[in-house]
Amino acid sequence: MSVDSLHLRIEPPGEDPYTYDSRSDSVVVGRSSTADVHVQDRYLSRQHARLFRQGDGWYVETLSAKSPTVLNGRAIGGPTRVAPGDVLRLAETVVRVAPPEGAASPAAWLEGSRIFRSAATMLAAAGGGAADPVALERQRSRLAAVNEVHRALAQPISLEALLGLVLDSAFAHLGPEEGALYLRRQDGELERAAFRRVPGLEGPPFQSRRLADEVVGRGLAALVQDASLDDRFAAAESILVSGVRSILAAPLLDSEGCLGMIVLHSRARVRQFSEEDLELLVSLAAAAALRIRNIALAEEVAERRLFERELALASEIQTGMLPKTFPECPEVEIAAALQPARLVGGDLYDVVVVGGRLWFLVGDVAGKGVGAALFMAVTRTLFRAIVPTAASLEDAASRINAELARDNDKAMFVTAFLGALDLATGQLDYVNAGHPPPPRLGHDGSVETVDAPPGPPLGAIPSHVYAPRRLGLRTGDGLLLYTDGVTEAENGRLEQFSSPRLEACLRDVARASPAEIVAAVIGSVRGFVGDNPPSDDLTLLVLRYRGPASGPPST
Amino acid sequence: MKIGEERRDGALIVAPSGRVDSVSSSELERALVGHLGAGESRVVVDLAQVEYISSAGLRVLLMTAKKLKDADGRLVLCAMPESVRLVFELAGFVPIFAIEPTREAALDRLGESGA
Repeated sequence: MSVDSLHLRIEPPGEDPYTYDSRSDSVVVGRSSTADVHVQDRYLSRQHARLFRQGDGWYVETLSAKSPTVLNGRAIGGPTRVAPGDVLRLAETVVRVAPPEGAASPAAWLEGSRIFRSAATMLAAAGGGAADPVALERQRSRLAAVNEVHRALAQPISLEALLGLVLDSAFAHLGPEEGALYLRRQDGELERAAFRRVPGLEGPPFQSRRLADEVVGRGLAALVQDASLDDRFAAAESILVSGVRSILAAPLLDSEGCLGMIVLHSRARVRQFSEEDLELLVSLAAAAALRIRNIALAEEVAERRLFERELALASEIQTGMLPKTFPECPEVEIAAALQPARLVGGDLYDVVVVGGRLWFLVGDVAGKGVGAALFMAVTRTLFRAIVPTAASLEDAASRINAELARDNDKAMFVTAFLGALDLATGQLDYVNAGHPPPPRLGHDGSVETVDAPPGPPLGAIPSHVYAPRRLGLRTGDGLLLYTDGVTEAENGRLEQFSSPRLEACLRDVARASPAEIVAAVIGSVRGFVGDNPPSDDLTLLVLRYRGPASGPPST
Repeated sequence: MKIGEERRDGALIVAPSGRVDSVSSSELERALVGHLGAGESRVVVDLAQVEYISSAGLRVLLMTAKKLKDADGRLVLCAMPESVRLVFELAGFVPIFAIEPTREAALDRLGESGA
């Protein structure tokens, strides 16, 4: 700086800034009209501070007994040398020491006191090369603060507790009046996740879209002495309402990007932040960011686990809906298997004996996953509820269909094969609701597909009336009911198991027991599919009629 | 799956291609529900380019037909390849839908019902 002249920019509270060029070797700033620079600042002392020339430089000393003279964020003790670009704070008044004439003006001078720095650069620079004792001491206290946060963060901690802890630490080391932590949501918007303020401070929390854009959007750390950043006051007639604010903000940066920001602020006359404070906050924010990311990931994993647990429970409930044992009836031998492709599925089967008849159902709900599983559960429940009161198979099928079709906005449906076998006579009534017709396994070893032209699936057409067909089973005749997960099982070459392979397999085991037939078909499908993961549920139900029981017919 | 769309004689023609299975059918569902929500009432779904359709795909078509019927509109299907036709037959769906061999026949059928 030129020794000869002193250029000052005076920023009084609530008034336009102006410049002052000294013509003498001494400049007194104060509220008194006799001061060289007199400012209408009610918190200012009459004679607040003096700038004076000594030797080859300019110095500042405080004259006020009640309010400090703050140079670059630190209250001065004795006379202190000033340099171009320095910022003095006297109560609510800002006095800037101008750069020498002709030098390029730093942005801070033109725009007011705003320092924006790359937080990443600050972090990279932190900890290196400080040689002088003052810098070392600053570094030591900063390390202590960050260490403290790291230590606390080493414990298992919830996200909420972590954010509170970071704010506590910021309050302890930086003494703001208000602090907030913002996190970026999935949709990119910032959400205030933690907030704290000293008692007695009122009004809505400080917020600034412009500050967020700089800090979160560009990863900049900010030290701002200004009220104009505050959204609430941008349009206000006078910033005197709130007074000048000292604002400190740092992005929550980690290697993956920016998670949000931490913002501290105070009324300038209560607490003014310095660049050292900014460095500390940047370090704190970086320590917090790492842990926030970890916790967010852990919570995501926990949520997924919870979902998986619920799905496993649903799977258990669904499996529980399938009959574990079959009705005790000597007239029919039964075996079944259901292999879901996922944890929950849309296949089902059921068997009940009512009124001397064995009623059975094999079904396949359109689609997959939880929706299909719920529809499966409803279908099975309706089957159990309606069959005991049904006048006939036609009546049962039509009523189940009507119930499933009601209020069915998504047009869910279930293809199904339903049958009612008269245990005394072997007469089988059956309805095919859009399902693959079953092969009949003759007592003589023949395999022949039952003639069962499909009607619409259950639930598809509300008023459909299903006309059953009739077939006589002789002693030793069987029936294999299946879902298309059997015939459409694919191998690695995208070939399907298909009906011919199913029939070939059945011919080999046509006279075996139902349990053996089920095992043989599953083995054959497995051998064909190999390691290819199943894409659909697979269900088999085999019945074999053993003729009327001796003694009185069952009821 | 790709979904082609075309407008002719005041009708919307939607032409999915490839596999319409439990994964891709939701895409077709979104497209059709979107058009229905926009007030489309005369719709042809051209299945000529469909290689495979699962029951999940049938559900989407059934839902579309029902919604259109409720809105005094109509859905006509056309140009079913043999493999798709077989799925419709096995599921008992042939009598449920209006099915025509060609787009022209489908548009004619829509014209009748609109008259």
